[in-house]
Amino acid sequence: MSSSYAIEVKGLTKRYGELVAVNGISFAVNRGEIFAFLGPNGAGKTTTVEILECLRKPTSGKAYVLGNDIERNQSEIKKRTGVLPQDFYTYERLTVKETIQYYAGMFDAHPDVDELIRLVDLEDKKNVLFRNLSGGLKQRLGIAVALVNDPEMIFLDEPTSGLDPKARHGVWHLIDGLHKKGKTVFLTTHYMEEAEILADRVGIIHNGTIVALDSPASLISEHGTRNLLILKKTSPKAVPSIEKLGIKAKYDGTTGDVTVHLNHTVGVSEILHTLSSTEVPFGELQLKRSSLEDVFLNLTGVSLEEEEGSI
Amino acid sequence: MSHVVIDLKASLKTFWRDKSTIFWTLAFPTVLILLFGAIFSQSSIRYDLYVQNQDLNDGKATYWSSSLITVLNSTNAFNIHMVDASANGTDYALTNRLSSLIIIPSGFNTSANMALYNQGATTANITFVYDQSTSSAPIVQSIVMSIVDRLNFELSRGIEYLTVEDLAIAPKRFGFIDFFIPGVIGMTAMTTSIFTSVSISARFKQNGIFHKLATTPLRRYEWILSRTIYNILISYLGMAVMMLMGIAVFGMKMTLDAVSLLMVAMASLMFTGLGMIIARFVKDPDGADAAANVITFPMMFLSGTFFQLSQMPQFLQTIAQVLPLTYVNEGLRAAMIFGQTQQAIINTALIAALGIASIVVGSLITKWEED
Repeated sequence: MSSSYAIEVKGLTKRYGELVAVNGISFAVNRGEIFAFLGPNGAGKTTTVEILECLRKPTSGKAYVLGNDIERNQSEIKKRTGVLPQDFYTYERLTVKETIQYYAGMFDAHPDVDELIRLVDLEDKKNVLFRNLSGGLKQRLGIAVALVNDPEMIFLDEPTSGLDPKARHGVWHLIDGLHKKGKTVFLTTHYMEEAEILADRVGIIHNGTIVALDSPASLISEHGTRNLLILKKTSPKAVPSIEKLGIKAKYDGTTGDVTVHLNHTVGVSEILHTLSSTEVPFGELQLKRSSLEDVFLNLTGVSLEEEEGSI
Repeated sequence: MSHVVIDLKASLKTFWRDKSTIFWTLAFPTVLILLFGAIFSQSSIRYDLYVQNQDLNDGKATYWSSSLITVLNSTNAFNIHMVDASANGTDYALTNRLSSLIIIPSGFNTSANMALYNQGATTANITFVYDQSTSSAPIVQSIVMSIVDRLNFELSRGIEYLTVEDLAIAPKRFGFIDFFIPGVIGMTAMTTSIFTSVSISARFKQNGIFHKLATTPLRRYEWILSRTIYNILISYLGMAVMMLMGIAVFGMKMTLDAVSLLMVAMASLMFTGLGMIIARFVKDPDGADAAANVITFPMMFLSGTFFQLSQMPQFLQTIAQVLPLTYVNEGLRAAMIFGQTQQAIINTALIAALGIASIVVGSLITKWEED
């Protein structure tokens, strides 16, 4: 069965007793795109991706992966998809090369193992046991394993969670490479930067519901705050002066900074001119662009970091 | 089937690279055998000695038979247990798995008097029936012989009036170690299979390996089959190492036949299933190891692995009758020592039935996917 979508989800719900983990969500993922599911831990990302991977049964609703019903055509879905679970783990005492060969055998596939090892940049680690790899290298091996069957689409569940910035950038580079090869990538993440950099489209999920779905640029444009101007180490007197221009400003007594919410009617030069004329001193200036963090904050009323901390 | 072979190869590679698993699977039972073998060759405890006095006169022991029993008792080396005079002594010893039985035959009193009268031209005989596969039998035999020698010396300055006739009830000349090693083989099959199943299942669950495997075409039954074959192979490896060591160090003599091999395979099957059932109810690897210990330790000690069941208190013997390892150990001894093929087949069939039941239940309740 063919479908124009790589994934099509209609009214998907998953309940655990009284708890509704996923609440009637509907969305579609286009073939060949990187789709990111963004949300804090516990928002329903992993539950959704595991339903799509045929690891959990939905309470209600329908979902199709590469045109296959997730409840009826599981073997077909498994053959044509690759999965990187959260914190990929495998036989501790198999080497990198043996691990890839093991999973290739499970798919009855015959990939060029050395090529896969090169792809994830583990050539000098190919004879190292899995247990001796760092977290970042384990994830890279997990991506290689997810590719053993040359899948049409790949599920990556929190691929960079817990990795240091260098390892994270390495994994991003790999994901970008998969995209360029025409693979569809379904990515879950709670890192806004990751979704913003990698994804063609982002679905923001909160409390089991999709609150927004679009390209990162469109989401920021539609739901983001205006760009911010930060006046470092200035005086509280700056706030009334700036607000006379019809825009909002806020003084932070701890840092001594004033944050100004820019809009299209007032330019930065106008603000600086006002401050000079009223002789309000200020240190350096910082311009901050709106991000998916602001989108999340605007849509849910809480910041992603607060949500993470509350879990 | 290729998935089974691939997973089996990966498991065997992992085993070979895991030194602690090798130690617990192979070295630990080997050390046990060496220790027990050494300890039981130097024991100095009181031994159970069964005595059947057939030499009765109006239901009362004759003078010489009574005297002999008194002397045996006075050594403080034995706990004397009297056996009904009407029983067939040899059958009684076999049925009750007695280590040592002295039969004082009817007419013993008359023979002793005759021997004294004719200065040893004739002798009075008693029969020493013993199970040479037990650790205590050779010791009891030597004590009995020294008592008889002493009696002869006291009565007649060394002229032999009283003789002891040996009657070994095991079919070949086996020692304690031959009895002991089948028990350790059974124990190793149990610990290997239960610990591997419980521990691997708990770790695979916690580390998300089951989730990853569930996203591949590998079927759950293929994985379970691979684990079962793995446990059987590791149990065979343990069996081979223990037998080779027994032969090299203790000059062990035992039969290795198809029934004993089948019993080890069925025991591994059963304990693999049991391990999977336990694994279903534990939450993490630490809990898994504790649960496996709770199951294996009592079974190890109560199923006649180290001692004969008859040496344990009656209530423990009753418990032993419901422990599957008891039937594994008895089946292995029946096949490997006593040559009781029929008994071994019955035990093997019982364990096979339990094995199929436990592996079916274990397979049904083991889940890779979440609800």
